[in-house]
Amino acid sequence: MSTPLIEVDARGLEPPQPMVRILEALSALPGEATLRAHTDRRPLHLFPLLAERGFQAESEEHSDGSFITHIRRA
Amino acid sequence: MAALSPTFAAPSVSAAPAVRVTPASPASALAPSVTLPLRFVLTGVGSLLAGMALLVARPDLLATYHYNQYAVAATHLFVLGFLCSIVMGAMYQLVPVALETRLHSERMAKWQFAFHLVGFVGMVWMFWIWNLQQVGHFGSAFAVGVGLFVYNLARTLRRVPRWNVVATGIASALVWLSLGVLAGLAVAAGKCTYESANTLAPTNPSWALVKSLQGVAHWVNRFDALGVMHAHAHLGGVGFFVMMIVSVSYKLVPMFTLSELQNERRATLAVMLLNLGLAGLFVAMAWHSPWKLAFALVLVVGLATYAVEILAILKARKRRTIDWGIRHFLTALGVLGVLVLLGLVLCWPRLPATLFTTQLETVYGFLGLIGVVTFTVLGFLYKIMPFLVWYHSYSREVGRSQVPSLADLYSVRLQVIAYWLFLGGLLLASLGAALSREALARGGAVVLLAAFAVFAVNLGKMLRHFFRPQIVPLNLTVATKPAQP
Repeated sequence: MSTPLIEVDARGLEPPQPMVRILEALSALPGEATLRAHTDRRPLHLFPLLAERGFQAESEEHSDGSFITHIRRA
Repeated sequence: MAALSPTFAAPSVSAAPAVRVTPASPASALAPSVTLPLRFVLTGVGSLLAGMALLVARPDLLATYHYNQYAVAATHLFVLGFLCSIVMGAMYQLVPVALETRLHSERMAKWQFAFHLVGFVGMVWMFWIWNLQQVGHFGSAFAVGVGLFVYNLARTLRRVPRWNVVATGIASALVWLSLGVLAGLAVAAGKCTYESANTLAPTNPSWALVKSLQGVAHWVNRFDALGVMHAHAHLGGVGFFVMMIVSVSYKLVPMFTLSELQNERRATLAVMLLNLGLAGLFVAMAWHSPWKLAFALVLVVGLATYAVEILAILKARKRRTIDWGIRHFLTALGVLGVLVLLGLVLCWPRLPATLFTTQLETVYGFLGLIGVVTFTVLGFLYKIMPFLVWYHSYSREVGRSQVPSLADLYSVRLQVIAYWLFLGGLLLASLGAALSREALARGGAVVLLAAFAVFAVNLGKMLRHFFRPQIVPLNLTVATKPAQP
């Protein structure tokens, strides 16, 4: 069975709404699931909060200049 | 996602496209304290209120010719105490995150604050009593602070993974700031006397320093005093403040209007034209050269190029509403347009020196500092401060507790009231200065003081969340909600 993937599209939102959307989605994230967040900018402020909450994340720039961040429990 | 604070930047950002974060590498471990920008901002707002109260008490500083000790003291209170404090504090926050790197040293920034505070307070005081030797001493302390600031940001810029127009603009602003401070120190040196140079023995350690300062004084005094003073003012005003505004707005305006930089080449061209124009203008002003107008025109073309880019960014924005923070910034650009026209008039080689035209120089300086730079600074503070406070007080609670939204941190009504008071006061005070009418200048200063007091109240509302966060546990909010039918 593949790992469940939950998508959060946080593009087009003014700060700090993207961060709020992602953190709220993470609070309900099933144990094995991965959250795939799509943001307009690299979510620099999110990283330390993820680390504190025991998540690991990987952020990559998309061809259109937006960012895709995969977040899962460490 | 917004990125306003180095506090929370990823631990190491390389040129690689992917950034990995794990719980084993908490980025916040390297975080500078949020109190770092706060102390600069509070110092700045305190200086703004003190400076405006001074203008209420002494409207003659606006309504009479500006080349006197009290006007020089008041100008340095606004420029160093208010504008430099806030811009420097904001830079420590913005530069690393806008450029996806980390601040080189928070400790160095704290040392800078100490030198900055002692330096500018002493300078303003010594200008007021016109003790230029002590201005030189306190100015040197201030310059040590600026040296630390420039070195810290230069080291931060060296780590930037992807150099861009924002980095180019900030690097330019740092060079101009350094030159502006050196020019200021040279002007102060030129106004001191050096009797001890004749009495000190060459073996005395102070002899070489006194002789060097005497040499600088001799060199500076070959230039026209007013021309050098105006050149020094433009290095700071245009080189540091306008250049910082241009660079940072390339990042902040797209961020807050949900847009993108539209043409990096055009944006870079604007920065380069500003650099070229200012370099030429500085020399032309110091030498009283007729080339002043030509270089001023280069600056104007640079500013027009910048305006075209900003309009393009705004046109491409996804967020249709323009909030009051951005309106402050756009108002500043409007005032900049007026300032450019006024500047060109003042550059005119055959402009007669009458009471009115010399007062227009005061209006030019006042509109530049209070109209353009202050409007921008307050507008950007309305974007930066709520985010900084919200992130510090609430970000860790998101998804765990009920926390206020960004909009709950301050009053838009107060923001709008302060905006209109600001605009009205600016107009009145400028008219008072232009017409040499003290009563009008005082009326304008009173209205401006009211505007800045309202701004300070709004800032206080934000800071209340810093000192007393309003966090409600989620289970409590669920328990207090009325039962669903």
